[in-house]
Amino acid sequence: MRGALAALFWREIAIARRIGGAGALGLVFFLILVTIAPFAVGPDLALLARIGPALMWIGALLATLLGLDRLFQADQEDGSLDVLITCDVPLELVVATKCLAHWAMTGLPLVIASPLLGLMLAIDGVTLAAVALTLLVGTPALTFIGAIGAALTVSLRRGGLLMAILVLPFAVPILIFGTSAAAAAAGGSVPFATPFLVLCGLALFALAASPFAAAAALREIDA
Amino acid sequence: MLKYANPTNFLTLAAKLLPWLGAATAALFAFGLYLGFFVAPADAVQGEIFRIMYIHVPAAWLAMLGYVAMAGSALGTLVWRHPLADVAQKAAAPLGAAFTFVCLVTGSLWGKPTWGTWWVWDPRLTSVLVLFIMYLGLIALWQTIEDPGRAARAAAILTLVGIVNIPIIKFSVDWNSLHQGESVFRAGGSTIYPTMLWPLLVMAVAFTLLFVTLLIMSMRNEILRRRVRRLSLLAADLAR
Amino acid sequence: MTRKGRRLALIGSAVGLMALAVGLILFALKDNIVFFYAPAELAEKGVQPGTRLRIGGLVKQGTVERAPGKPISFTVTDNVKDVAVTYDGLLPDLFREGQGVVVEGVLETKDTFRADSVLAKHDETYMPREVADALKKQGLWRGGTAQNGPPTTQSQGSP
Repeated sequence: MRGALAALFWREIAIARRIGGAGALGLVFFLILVTIAPFAVGPDLALLARIGPALMWIGALLATLLGLDRLFQADQEDGSLDVLITCDVPLELVVATKCLAHWAMTGLPLVIASPLLGLMLAIDGVTLAAVALTLLVGTPALTFIGAIGAALTVSLRRGGLLMAILVLPFAVPILIFGTSAAAAAAGGSVPFATPFLVLCGLALFALAASPFAAAAALREIDA
Repeated sequence: MLKYANPTNFLTLAAKLLPWLGAATAALFAFGLYLGFFVAPADAVQGEIFRIMYIHVPAAWLAMLGYVAMAGSALGTLVWRHPLADVAQKAAAPLGAAFTFVCLVTGSLWGKPTWGTWWVWDPRLTSVLVLFIMYLGLIALWQTIEDPGRAARAAAILTLVGIVNIPIIKFSVDWNSLHQGESVFRAGGSTIYPTMLWPLLVMAVAFTLLFVTLLIMSMRNEILRRRVRRLSLLAADLAR
Repeated sequence: MTRKGRRLALIGSAVGLMALAVGLILFALKDNIVFFYAPAELAEKGVQPGTRLRIGGLVKQGTVERAPGKPISFTVTDNVKDVAVTYDGLLPDLFREGQGVVVEGVLETKDTFRADSVLAKHDETYMPREVADALKKQGLWRGGTAQNGPPTTQSQGSP
């Protein structure tokens, strides 16, 4: 079973790379968001530094969601989803593996690039590290939560917008504690660890629970 | 009881019940509004504006109760594959959204004169807004997936995932929120003076009856709509 | 492992992870993630001046000063610590001495605060005027309108 899951993981990575990489696209989207924000906000570096972590979180959230609607759709179109559903490996683990692979190709590059982009938003060093750390914990959770939406809209040709609407309410707690942890590192009223621990808890919960919901959705809808 | 789980029997029952339910709802609303707006004394601190609570609080309860009812129907869809559960789920979503909307608007109207702001990102307000968005998402899902059975199963899963929000709404006022804490269902009894509490309870029953009446009407319409759909599919088949 | 056994193991480990997650959340939430802080919590947590936050408490009796042309000043208290607040703007109708209030702004020094918005907080008790007056006579009333004259937004209800 482990071998099958590893094979699936590398298959996902290979596909993502061959298509030209949703990961690279997500990164460019992230860069564009960071570029247009200063024009929207105006030339105020202090303000930019204050809202910078929040901007980066929103950018990461949108970049993650944008690529997710194809998570199961391509498999459904070429029939491999049916194979995945009926094969001996539990569908929950298949979903989790696909999410991990997707995160490695889209979320992880965002996390790695975030300190560089943060510099452009005038965020100072400590806060940058904190933002990167919160994104490292938060983006996998966003991918996993998004997988539920991707599974629910798998049969829809244009499910992207609907998926975002379905998923965003569930991303709200992650966003709240991700940004408040980043703000706490910048010198707030609570120690960094408090909101960060909540973020970790939320992420863990999403990682454990979402594959079940997404797998149930795939089984129910593809049936 | 089980007999009425059959859609046709449900329609018969609905036809018998609806006039009575409608009359009872109207009567209780008239009584409750009269009590709330003319009999209950003004609040010592807030004055007359507190009367908004006779709309706001029952609407909030029904917004949550509607979601719980929808989650119950979702179980009916997934576990027992019952067609009536599908219909109940679909009918409850717009109703829940409407009650949540009433709750948000009345709360906002109350918040301006009392707190001094129309809106604030306090845990209670935010979690209820999230509930509203979830209702809208469910409605969108129902409208986008064409096959009713598939739509019902998708909506059921999303509904069950969303149930985590209900305890969050309930306990959000314990986290130093601007919204006041629980006044009615609390240890040591209600903190609302009895002459002000009674109208609220009457209004709560009136709102519940309204919800049930609208739900049954909406379910009836949905059953009929499905029959029309089936018949037109059949007719199209025959015409070929 | 059989198919069923594997499924049970999968569900079991997921439930375990979720329990761990809930535990982590509850453990961290206990350390107060809140909409506002009480004045005593500010001192306890050693919040640095210059921080933006919300403070909630009661408006201390006899501390509200309104001078023309100058910002309004008052003291927010939780009966343990006080914070002096200055504010330039419109106050909500329910803002009264002894009533709950939430102020949002910047902590200037350790116990002075410059607010840019003031919200009145109402508690969960509702009672008619007569009952409140009776409680006040008995000295059991804990908030509200006692010393400050008749409030502006109020009118007598029907019996």
